[in-house]
Amino acid sequence: MRSTPLRYLKAIVPVLLFATGSPMIALAQEHPLRVPPQAGRYTPLDHREVPGKVGRWNLIAKPSLYGYFQPVRVELPSQGLVSFYTPEQPQPVLTQAPAQAAMLIGPVYRLKIAGLPEYPGVELYPTVEVTDRLHPPAGQEDQWPIPVQITPEEIEAALQDRMVTKVVYLENPQRASLLNQENGDVLTFDSLGDDNLLDAADQLGRPVAILRLGGRTPDPNNPLDILDGPPAPIRVAATAPPTE
Amino acid sequence: MRLYFLALATLLIVCVGCATNGTSGLEARGQSELLRQSEYTAPPAAMLTRPGPMVAGPGPGVLGYPPGAMAAARAAQQQAAPATSQLRFLGPAGMSVGWQIGNGFAENQLIAPARYNFVQGATYRLKLTGIPGREGLTLYPTLQVYPTRPTTAAYLSHSGVPLQLTDEDLDQIITNNFVTKVVYLPDAKYQDLAAGVEELVSTRLPAGADPVDVAERRGTIMAVLRVGNMDLEMPGQPGGVTGAYVDQNGQIVQTAYYADGDQGQHVPPTPIAWDAGATGVPDEMMMGGPTYPGGAPWDPIAGATAPKWGMPHMHVGNPIGLPGPVSLPYGGPASLKSHTMRNLTDTYITEPVEDMLIDVRHEPGIRMPRPVRHVEYTEKHPIYAPGQVAWPAWAGQMGPPQGQP
Repeated sequence: MRSTPLRYLKAIVPVLLFATGSPMIALAQEHPLRVPPQAGRYTPLDHREVPGKVGRWNLIAKPSLYGYFQPVRVELPSQGLVSFYTPEQPQPVLTQAPAQAAMLIGPVYRLKIAGLPEYPGVELYPTVEVTDRLHPPAGQEDQWPIPVQITPEEIEAALQDRMVTKVVYLENPQRASLLNQENGDVLTFDSLGDDNLLDAADQLGRPVAILRLGGRTPDPNNPLDILDGPPAPIRVAATAPPTE
Repeated sequence: MRLYFLALATLLIVCVGCATNGTSGLEARGQSELLRQSEYTAPPAAMLTRPGPMVAGPGPGVLGYPPGAMAAARAAQQQAAPATSQLRFLGPAGMSVGWQIGNGFAENQLIAPARYNFVQGATYRLKLTGIPGREGLTLYPTLQVYPTRPTTAAYLSHSGVPLQLTDEDLDQIITNNFVTKVVYLPDAKYQDLAAGVEELVSTRLPAGADPVDVAERRGTIMAVLRVGNMDLEMPGQPGGVTGAYVDQNGQIVQTAYYADGDQGQHVPPTPIAWDAGATGVPDEMMMGGPTYPGGAPWDPIAGATAPKWGMPHMHVGNPIGLPGPVSLPYGGPASLKSHTMRNLTDTYITEPVEDMLIDVRHEPGIRMPRPVRHVEYTEKHPIYAPGQVAWPAWAGQMGPPQGQP
């Protein structure tokens, strides 16, 4: 029985438009959570850092993470196409959702999601930053990936050019949440205001990945400008292994 | 009596000696308060970073993290194209957006709502035409795209910067008011549930308030749009952008290159100015910077890969390398005959350490068993009678030859 207690902490940066009459869309408040900062402890990093900084710092702190390919599973609301940018070829590798790929810890991986039946013609370019690894049984690494779920609310926010930042953390079993997961969805907590998601995730468990999703699209004349440099090594699975 | 005065003098000396703090000699020489024993003042930062020849610079391998990780990341960053910010022109809907290219304009490049990636750290001259409800109005605002900062890196790499001209803004512009719109990302402490990317408009601030200054105090600026009602394409007029003139038939002749997006001519904008010091997001100062992809990182070592320690500042007024008046007779008789610089800085720098003693102790200590010093080894061999043959154990399977016991 699958028992990976992975959880999400999410923050959405809205865009405030003056004098346009556009209404502010309320943030998803299904499970609001306020975790106060850790007393007597200074946390230099937060979820608003430069993409890649958290992973690099963790890589320096734990050199054993260097070179480990952590499987990550990208799940969309229903169906869709997930593309991974690889250094071997200029065109991204196209896979069906749910898509799985093994990523290094430290680099920031840009993805492309398209073909969403709920949002025809929509293409979004989120990034995934793996900051730590899981420790599955030997030989079963692909069966225990880090799940990165993109929900319809997040897609709606991204289409309105609001940035979504989601921190995936491995829950501390001694401080497990009493809420149940529904339909296999990973439990998501929405942050409030200026909370530090990394600090909150660190208190609740161990942060393992950060997902950033916005509405930016590549330049039609230079499609690769969406990438912040050459793509990092990645191992794309032909088909995502089934999960329980 | 003598004993009395002797005792009094002794008591006086003892009391005065206890009242001093041990720096009487230095203070007697007229040194400043700097030299009080309880206060220490470090030398300037430049002296600390360059303590002396061959010991300046961070040096290679100081922190000792996995090789290749940081260098590869920076090399990848160095190879990337110039950083761009995606600007979203939200409105007025239907407005045509163009920009200056050299001495001309590329018109109708975008139709709002639209988005475009502008290279960061530069200022562009836009041309806005076809504003619904404002026929004949053409605006030439400047768009200053700020470089990425650590606080805006995540946002700019994932989202666009919204820009919009409202009816109120257009009314202000038409009535000869200069409008400045600053789009910034507020700091975390200024963000609440309803805040995010914000915009400051000069016409809504109190008189005299600088929107750029206000925005910088509240967050990090991403773009500034400055709009006036100046016409930059008046033919033959000084101060105009283009070299257009009016010929004898009254026709305007363009001498600069123009592009029209309606005819499929799309040209990227040419910056009219570059921001000084636009360095983008600085890397963590963990070690030296990258050189080329796959190459070893550059570690600044004074005298080898960095300017030698002790080299004078280059911006000096005379060839002997010291700040001061020029010593060459530029158009007049030379007057400088001597140049004396005296260092009157009070210094109290103790002698360097000659003998360093470091005591290291493990708790608990190390306790090992005594090594083996005596081994008794006894071998017992069977004794065979005459006629008996002793076969070694390793030949046991072979057995004695046939016919022999």
